[in-house]
Amino acid sequence: MNLEAFQKIAASNLWGNLLPEIYLVALCLLLLVFEMVFRRQDLLLLFRVALWGQVLLLVLMGLSYFGGFPSGREELFGGLLVQTPLTETMRLFFLFGSLLVSYLGTRFLRARNLARTEFFAITLLVTAALMLLVQSNQFVLLFVALETVTVGFYVLVAYARTSGYSLEAGLKYLIMGALSSGLLLFGIVLLYGVAGSPDLAGAVGDPLHFPSLAQFIAAHPDNTLVLAGSLLVLSGIAFKVGAVPFQIWIPDVYQGAPTPVSAFLAVSSKAAGIIVLLTLVTGPFAALSGWTIPLISTVAVLTILYGNLTALPQRNVKRIMGLSGIAHAGYLLMGVVAAMTVDWAVGAIVFYLFTYLLASFGVFGVMALLSEGQDADQELDHYEDLAKRQPLLAAALTVGLASLAGIPPLGGFIGKLVLFIAAFQAGLYTLLAFSVVGVVLSIYYYFGWVREAVFRVWRSAEGAGSATPALPEPRSLTGLDRTALVGLSVLTLILGVAPFVLTWFLQL
Amino acid sequence: MDIFFILFALLTVVPAFLMVVTPNPVAGAVFLILSFIGMACLFVLLEAFFLAVLQILVYAGAIMVLFLFIIMLLDVREVEKLRPNTVTAAAAGVSLLLLVLGLIAVLAGDGLSGQLLSALPAVPDYPAADEPLGLAQKVKAYGYGLFTKYMLPFQLTGILLLIAMIGVIVLSKKRAAEEGAESAGADS
Repeated sequence: MNLEAFQKIAASNLWGNLLPEIYLVALCLLLLVFEMVFRRQDLLLLFRVALWGQVLLLVLMGLSYFGGFPSGREELFGGLLVQTPLTETMRLFFLFGSLLVSYLGTRFLRARNLARTEFFAITLLVTAALMLLVQSNQFVLLFVALETVTVGFYVLVAYARTSGYSLEAGLKYLIMGALSSGLLLFGIVLLYGVAGSPDLAGAVGDPLHFPSLAQFIAAHPDNTLVLAGSLLVLSGIAFKVGAVPFQIWIPDVYQGAPTPVSAFLAVSSKAAGIIVLLTLVTGPFAALSGWTIPLISTVAVLTILYGNLTALPQRNVKRIMGLSGIAHAGYLLMGVVAAMTVDWAVGAIVFYLFTYLLASFGVFGVMALLSEGQDADQELDHYEDLAKRQPLLAAALTVGLASLAGIPPLGGFIGKLVLFIAAFQAGLYTLLAFSVVGVVLSIYYYFGWVREAVFRVWRSAEGAGSATPALPEPRSLTGLDRTALVGLSVLTLILGVAPFVLTWFLQL
Repeated sequence: MDIFFILFALLTVVPAFLMVVTPNPVAGAVFLILSFIGMACLFVLLEAFFLAVLQILVYAGAIMVLFLFIIMLLDVREVEKLRPNTVTAAAAGVSLLLLVLGLIAVLAGDGLSGQLLSALPAVPDYPAADEPLGLAQKVKAYGYGLFTKYMLPFQLTGILLLIAMIGVIVLSKKRAAEEGAESAGADS
């Protein structure tokens, strides 16, 4: 046996480069131990350890950048993992997302009789797996990381097990997720089989390794099995993103899942899917751009139209967020297509993801704060006169929705603008036209929501507003709630007006 | 070799089909075991002995015992026949037709003729000796691969299992009512 080769591989297992992931797993284990030691579940302690532990990690990661933000491309773990400025930024993205999910989770769990520690434990583990997912450079690691994320989400979606909605959502997500994982795995196996076959010229040693696979596919772009395999892999990823032929699970799952989990799915899971798709189409499948560009463009058009048109008549706010999330996935897919020809579009995608994160968590935060008791059946009518009852919530909601709709001077506007410019440079004029139509449609339903919340709406006694049962008045906001909501709104504004942030992102 | 392949392939496919159509869950589980055994035989034909042993030990052994336990515990005798509606049936028929056509297209093309498959040597993707390995050595090679190159996914699988464990507990365990609810309001 060739032991030297194994030793060489073992020497490239640099665990020190995975410290953020290891920290998150350790924090999760610490929480689980705490729960065992303090038998009476001490809320204060658990919530605080989970939240401040993540804040500490964010600070530590920030401090580590004083030596310079990582630049260049570094392959680790025998080629399984690759670290670039993009993956480093996405690490921060996921950590930020997880922090916000944990914060929403504290609000959500406080009002319900559900297990508490486990929510944070799973959130932390899923975040660590998301970080590994975007750094993976080989299909084995990609699949294991993706499965870890998905299994975590199966549990989180069904977390409110006393609610029928949540269990139904969990079951639907489980079945759809298993199907998509099956498609993805089948595709990977086909690619492995064909690229490792010694009968074909240019067979590679490790067919699962992205650069090696790219080499093989460049030599055989028309092989039937390569086409079938890559199509199946792309379908599996499209499921996670929620692109159109595979979007059917989104409204029900988003509605049924606990609000913090809906936000987690909408932001982090979708972002991971987009980045993985980006890695695949610009990496191993780059030689297939002859058909991936038209394919993903068509999917993007359908996704944008589907998301926006189905969101128009919705009254349930969680379904609106789910369906409009499909539309956002469509804009991001357009960015992915643009990134295949225009280099700086990658930065535009990441910038868009950050604006989407801030705006979505603002809106989901308001939703979580308003729904102390029930969760899944929040209608637009419940937001009537919010500005009078809770001015801060209404303001945060307006900023978030306006940013999602892409209204200047907020971050969402700049995000859409750079994405559209990238698409224009890539020459995707049809796609661009459909996106603009989509954005116009989205303004209608986002502002319908704002109108409910901010402007006085006249209703007859038998109007829709009186028919829905009123939600209990939300608890008074704590200092943490105010900080979070104001912070998200201010950051959304900063992304919109401070050009240096954008310049930094476009260098990615 | 060919006759064995056909035999074992039939042993894999026929019980798998029977498993889907049988109304009796215990019979279904037994058919599934048969199908797994057929698959293990196919692995033997491919000279992947270690995989064949694992297939029997893990799938036909541990996992199926678990399935049977659950069936026994739930005490399911017969499931009532599902009547698929016409749209579903038609969609399934069309999908099957497309799948068969696709397979024929692939087989007729450059892809998977039987000869190509049989000519494939079982080369693992990590560096190994040139000569074919014996079973014990093969297991050792798996071990080396697992603990050097695939160390990270291996560890990550541990995390996956941890999530699954936590998840099972969260979703199935009954919580003592109102525990910790008093302290809920105290936090700020």
